[in-house]
Amino acid sequence: MKHARAIVAIARSVTLEAIRRKEIYVLIAACLLLTGLAFSLNIFDLGGLVKFYREITLRLMGTFTAVAVSLLAVRQLPREFEQRTIYPLLARPVPRSVFILGKAVGVLLVALASYALFVTIYIIGMHYLDGELAWGLLWQHVYLQFLQMGLLTSGAFLLSLLVSPDAAATLALLLYFASNVMGHMALSLYELTHTAGRAFLHLLTYALPQFVLFDLSGKVLHSEIWDPLSLSVMGALTAYALIYSLLYGVGAYALFRRRPL
Amino acid sequence: MNAPIEVEQLSVSYARGTKRVTAVQDASFTVAEGECVGFIGANGAGKSTTIKALMGFLFADQGEARLFGRPAKDPKGRQQVGYLPEVALYYPYMRARELLTLYGTLSGLKTADLRQRIPAALEQVGLGGREKDLLRTFSKGMQQRLGIAQALIAQPALLILDEISSGLDPLGRYDLRQLLIKLREEGRTIFFSSHELSEVESLCDRVIMIDQGRICKEVTQRELQAIGQQQSLESFFINTVREETD
Repeated sequence: MKHARAIVAIARSVTLEAIRRKEIYVLIAACLLLTGLAFSLNIFDLGGLVKFYREITLRLMGTFTAVAVSLLAVRQLPREFEQRTIYPLLARPVPRSVFILGKAVGVLLVALASYALFVTIYIIGMHYLDGELAWGLLWQHVYLQFLQMGLLTSGAFLLSLLVSPDAAATLALLLYFASNVMGHMALSLYELTHTAGRAFLHLLTYALPQFVLFDLSGKVLHSEIWDPLSLSVMGALTAYALIYSLLYGVGAYALFRRRPL
Repeated sequence: MNAPIEVEQLSVSYARGTKRVTAVQDASFTVAEGECVGFIGANGAGKSTTIKALMGFLFADQGEARLFGRPAKDPKGRQQVGYLPEVALYYPYMRARELLTLYGTLSGLKTADLRQRIPAALEQVGLGGREKDLLRTFSKGMQQRLGIAQALIAQPALLILDEISSGLDPLGRYDLRQLLIKLREEGRTIFFSSHELSEVESLCDRVIMIDQGRICKEVTQRELQAIGQQQSLESFFINTVREETD
């Protein structure tokens, strides 16, 4: 690919920022601390502890990575504008699409690295507790979480070009955390509303990503009764994530492409 | 062969609240290969806006700006351009070497070339031996020197420098002037804006003046020399701008 080196160079600068600014360490440390606490609680029998550890760790892994990704992604473009660091970058023979792609790849690399760290800790903990690891479901969960991070990144980029970085972070996290509740709420409301209300609920369902679809932690937790998802379901979820990521990404690029700097 | 810079009837406006403000109106000029051209004007006259339109950061309402014959929005036109922004901060969490590696890579330089050029570029701007220093430890003047190094890293044929001496102390300005003289002698095309009119006078083959968004005068070196016998460029500039205003 013609611009591969440029994308890697920009992505590297994002990862350097995440490492050197140390904010991400706070999130990782907090996650590890809570995981350690879950691990050391002595109020359950061994079977109960394994389940408790599994549930807490899987939920924390997803939540902390989502927070880290959102905070990192929403400030990538606005900070470049604000500090005017974008000028020497775009003064090179680099199209704006390559710039935005490099930034997204960088955020995803940071997400992947922090999630890989959490998964490693989870596996070590499970190994120590002699808990059974449902490998199939676990890897599917990890894969879907990564797709979710891509979706969150492109959504955060789009939001950061529409509203202030603080508002974008709040909205991105609100969408992430409310996704589960909204899914159930929309179903209940659908029964209670008429044509206009239902049309609005349809619009909401299709316009906003359903992050809850990418969370298999409940299945991993109860792996004794759940089999891994079929290939067709995994394929459909992959397509869903890619389509939404692409839509948000194209939206972000369309705004950025014509933005005067 | 296309001229490094061509500006034709360029008009650029930007939004200020609900209004649109015209910053550059019907500006036309060309910078030929090997020329050193100064771009002067009062604050808010439209110098930086013109330069940003040339770099593809702002979009023309009318007319066109071209680099090496390519429209400003075409990234390929910037292949041979080194640019120093009016105000730029550089990533405080990076080291000087990492920053120049990033910019050099984006300019298409290979790793082996970067290994040679980074120490040389830093040496050239008086930052030799500071490769491994974090940029958060750099003073304003050092950041400006680093800005010049990043503009030079790919050894471009055309240098576009916006407010070159901003933030530099007298020694830094002297070093910069020597560097520009050397680059001009090497045959590079230089287009720069500056408020230091003595610097412009001593370096340029030609001076373009802009006032209230309009190009109001172009003066060649010969004319500059003739002016220099009677008055300084500063007095000439002030008189020209006043005449335009009246």
